[in-house]
Amino acid sequence: MTGKERIARILRREPVDRIGIHEHFWGDTAKGWKDYLNGEGNLERFWDLDVCECWPLNLVADLDAGSVIVAEDENTATYYDGNRATLRKHKFKDGTPEHVDFFVKDRENWEAWAKPLLLAGALDRRINYAAYEQSRQIANEDGRYFVLSGVNVFELMTYLCGHENLLAGMALDPEWVADMVDVYSRMIVEAQTRLIEKSGLPDGIWFYDDLGYKEHPFLSPGMYDELVLPGHKRTMDFAHALGLPVILHSCGFVEPLVPGFIEAGVDCLQVIEIKAGMDLLKLQRLYGDKLCFMGGIDARVICSNDKALIDAELEAKIPVMKQGGNFIIHSDHSVPPTVKPEIFRYYLERAAALGKY
Amino acid sequence: MSTEILANLSLAVQKGRAKDVEALIAQGLAEDFTAQQLLEDGLLTGMNLLGVRFKNNEVFVPEVLIAARALNKGTLLLKTQLVEEGVKPIGTVVIGTVQGDLHDIGKNLVRMMLEGSGFQVIDLGVDVAPETFVEAVREHKPQIVALSALLTTTMGSQRGVIEALEGAGLRGTVKVMIGGAPITEAYANEIGADAYTADAASAAQMAKSLVAA
Repeated sequence: MTGKERIARILRREPVDRIGIHEHFWGDTAKGWKDYLNGEGNLERFWDLDVCECWPLNLVADLDAGSVIVAEDENTATYYDGNRATLRKHKFKDGTPEHVDFFVKDRENWEAWAKPLLLAGALDRRINYAAYEQSRQIANEDGRYFVLSGVNVFELMTYLCGHENLLAGMALDPEWVADMVDVYSRMIVEAQTRLIEKSGLPDGIWFYDDLGYKEHPFLSPGMYDELVLPGHKRTMDFAHALGLPVILHSCGFVEPLVPGFIEAGVDCLQVIEIKAGMDLLKLQRLYGDKLCFMGGIDARVICSNDKALIDAELEAKIPVMKQGGNFIIHSDHSVPPTVKPEIFRYYLERAAALGKY
Repeated sequence: MSTEILANLSLAVQKGRAKDVEALIAQGLAEDFTAQQLLEDGLLTGMNLLGVRFKNNEVFVPEVLIAARALNKGTLLLKTQLVEEGVKPIGTVVIGTVQGDLHDIGKNLVRMMLEGSGFQVIDLGVDVAPETFVEAVREHKPQIVALSALLTTTMGSQRGVIEALEGAGLRGTVKVMIGGAPITEAYANEIGADAYTADAASAAQMAKSLVAA
């Protein structure tokens, strides 16, 4: 069974040969594993993962602005991007940039600057058709499940205004946030429509929207339902109308939001961040009849490079999860370079063996 | 002098109504409440109650953010009177996200909750080197140093700060609290931190108990 067949069947709850297997890696990891990878730059191919992703959309407000470095030190660069956000990033490490400042802090600059730019047309310039077509072809040749990936409304708004401005705005000016959700969700649907019409269907759509952090969602279920769900529902209804399943990635503790995710149309929840308080087996008990799950393997255990600890983590989770026929194994975020590649191979082989039906 | 005004001030903070806070403080001062009463029995009481609800997942970050803004508005209005009355913060905390880590949301929430509990907070920002924490401890003489790390790849830097404090002979002068997504109680014990808390409200409660001990 190919990865393409396996993931498609898991998402439809049809019998498969084994659980799905997929993973994300920090950018530094491939560098750290350079010798072991022996020149192979495609980690999905090297590790024979089941899924292949492409990120072809650019929804930054000012497409022509680019990223301009405004300050630099030995280890970090501060830059100004097309959202007129000032961010600071590590030069040699992956990770979320520091939010230094944002031009759009409230309704005023959204309406005066960002919204007109986003609605100005030129949607084709926001779509990397060539990258999508190439990834789609490679995924088909390799037999991997090909997903059209991109961020959804919450993440897009945090790129524009930052978490603090956005979350305060949700409480102080919900109509402003609703307007941003409306604009961004329409843009996602329009861009995906254009892309798919020209370059063909993916096997599924994968949205990224980090809605939680340690032990808490960023916002209440009520606020999610009122402000974010309409955008999620619009984008997910579009996918379903094309017969495409939807995977939703969220970091952090988002358990209270899961009923809303189901209402919005999520078919598979990823990444089930254990260290933030998520509980994979509890989610399976509560929502396993409605959702598939990808993730939930504690990355700290993989990072331990300890085979006994890895065995214990896999043995505690895979036998339970495989019973549901709805599980794709994945760490609870990304694999860092501190994991030895030989250990990662052991982890994958043990997962495949335990996950065999 | 009706204590209703203090209850209303507390409620205004909990609801994040900065304009109401402003009006109630003006009214309170006109009715001869002390700045300390308005701060402790109005503003900080409101923030503490909100912190409990936050910990219990009854309110979330948006509500905390607007409450913190309302609280800041109130404390700013009371600043002069608080100095005149000789009111001091219940303690000083030096806080920062450790070296190599640029995440600031969790650290900022802890700062807000600490300020809402009556602490003076020296925020060193993100990507803070161990020697910067050491310098800040020398300069500000805090009771507590609070270290945030979001990533498995940066949590080791928390140990580096503790070692730097030991190396500078300052470890005995401060309590070290740690937090962040990958952090656990066991890890706190392993690296010799004094306390670990899972969320911002618990961090503020822990800080109060550490300075009271």
